[in-house]
Amino acid sequence: MTDYAELALLPEGLHDDLPPFAGHEARSIERLVSQFEAQGYERVKPPLIEFEESLLAGPGAGIARHMFRLMDPISQRMMGLRADMTTQVARIAATRLKDAPRPLRLCYAGQVLRVRGSQLRPERQYAQSGVELIGAEGVAGDTEVVFLAADALQALGIQGLSVDLTLPSLVPLLTQALGLKGAEGEAARQALDARDGAAIEALAPAVRQQLGDLMRAAGPAKNALERLAGLNLPAPARALCDHLAALVKGLDQANSGLTLTIDPGESRGFEYQTGVSFSLFADGVRGELGRGGRYALSSGESAIGFTLYLDSLMRAVPGLAAAARLYLPFGTSGARARQLRTEGWCTVQGLDGGANPEEEARHLACNHILRGDQAQALS
Amino acid sequence: MTQKLVVALPKGRILNEAMPLLRRAGIEPEPAFDDPASRLLRFTTNIPGLEIVRVRSFDVATFVAFGAAQMGIAGNDVLMEFQYPEIYAPLDLGIGRCHMAVAEPAALRAEDDPGRWSHIRVATKYPGITRRHFAARGVQAECIHLNGAMELAPSLGLCRRIVDLVSSGETLRANGLVEVERIAEVTSRLIVNRAAAKTRPAHLAGWIDRFQGALDAAAIA
Repeated sequence: MTDYAELALLPEGLHDDLPPFAGHEARSIERLVSQFEAQGYERVKPPLIEFEESLLAGPGAGIARHMFRLMDPISQRMMGLRADMTTQVARIAATRLKDAPRPLRLCYAGQVLRVRGSQLRPERQYAQSGVELIGAEGVAGDTEVVFLAADALQALGIQGLSVDLTLPSLVPLLTQALGLKGAEGEAARQALDARDGAAIEALAPAVRQQLGDLMRAAGPAKNALERLAGLNLPAPARALCDHLAALVKGLDQANSGLTLTIDPGESRGFEYQTGVSFSLFADGVRGELGRGGRYALSSGESAIGFTLYLDSLMRAVPGLAAAARLYLPFGTSGARARQLRTEGWCTVQGLDGGANPEEEARHLACNHILRGDQAQALS
Repeated sequence: MTQKLVVALPKGRILNEAMPLLRRAGIEPEPAFDDPASRLLRFTTNIPGLEIVRVRSFDVATFVAFGAAQMGIAGNDVLMEFQYPEIYAPLDLGIGRCHMAVAEPAALRAEDDPGRWSHIRVATKYPGITRRHFAARGVQAECIHLNGAMELAPSLGLCRRIVDLVSSGETLRANGLVEVERIAEVTSRLIVNRAAAKTRPAHLAGWIDRFQGALDAAAIA
């Protein structure tokens, strides 16, 4: 028997999902995708494995060190197991669907694999779901996508949702204007990302005030916009902030129940984003539920999208109410069983005529039983 | 609505320096906190919903990174060792001041040229910092992870070099060791969980401001 126990050991970061969680997660994914489809986003399904170069092209360059690789025995070329699906959808939009009318709306859901989990998110395999809106520049497109992310999550019953907006290209513009080069600029970027007060104090006096103000501007969207308005920013940075203000205004009108925050100093993990980006959080839930932002396809076309991480997200989804399972004693006709299922029951057919129906129903975790052709609750 | 806020504080030396700051910021723990005989690990305070937990200094960072505590006080030695992306360190509290250094026996120092090292063995509580520090100079550091009394390692032949915190340098001298190289200056920081800072920005920012106020008041006094 101990041999069997040992067989159950899985590699680090991988696990079996059991009932009822596996079903709960699958239904949550389907509900997300149907929300996306209901707003005109059409589903695509790229393969699990493809050539390494195409996975690492454009916005995918950042995932190189997270990717499992294997050799394709047929083409003798290196293949990668996807660690993120955004690149694949971007590839589809730039190639096979390059002539499809713009703006192009695509959505997806699938499993991804990464070489190593982090301490906070140890999973090496998890599900992603998301959308990409391709070929729509401007605030209207940004608003649609952020609003869709929030809407889909709230439809799953997630409470205390907040969207943290950021401008990954703001810090580089600012450090450039302040004359910070190479390592100095990188140190400033890291200090802002970690909101490391001491590291910012250690910067040159001329820079310290500006970047310190930028760090302290982070917070609820309204306050942050006011503080950003008071900063002395170069013209292109000012244009970014104006764009952000317009987005916040649009989101406020569309969904008033949403907490909106702005962190103008954040850029980590958004290295390939070119415009407004965002992370999704739920109150009391560890880590991000998803993130998104504007980027450029390898064809140069502008796109905005987001990816939801089902491992984090499921921690925020309310637990399941026990499903209504109806036990059908041995001999119940197939036609009757089908009829009960169309009424919405989940039926469990008794297969042993000798068993006591009530005992068997309890044994199989049914909370209802068919008695005299009536579905009755088991106390 | 009172929102729960858990503040993680490190046991030991830093705690004595941190408590006056906490009190200046308006946080007064229940009497059991100052009772050495108390076995409690969680303490209520005069602020409804605000709780203090007392844990080992390395664990403060872990509690805050995982969101088990929303706020805490930790040295940047601990923050550098873990490099948790989920921790913000908005304020330097200026307490627990010391530095981190590489040390070796005085006799070895006389004939040693650190510029020629390619591989060294180091006893330390900070394997992450040690490895990264030496890797950046092209030196491969093999770390022997100890939890305390690093200074004993060279004299007992465990290994010749250590990386440890130094405040007065007294412990090093008493064990016949000299500093070879300074790695970083260390002070304690007010730290905040990233997700909490994003989901409850006004609440957390309010506390950061109160600590800033306490620091300013301490600077004037």
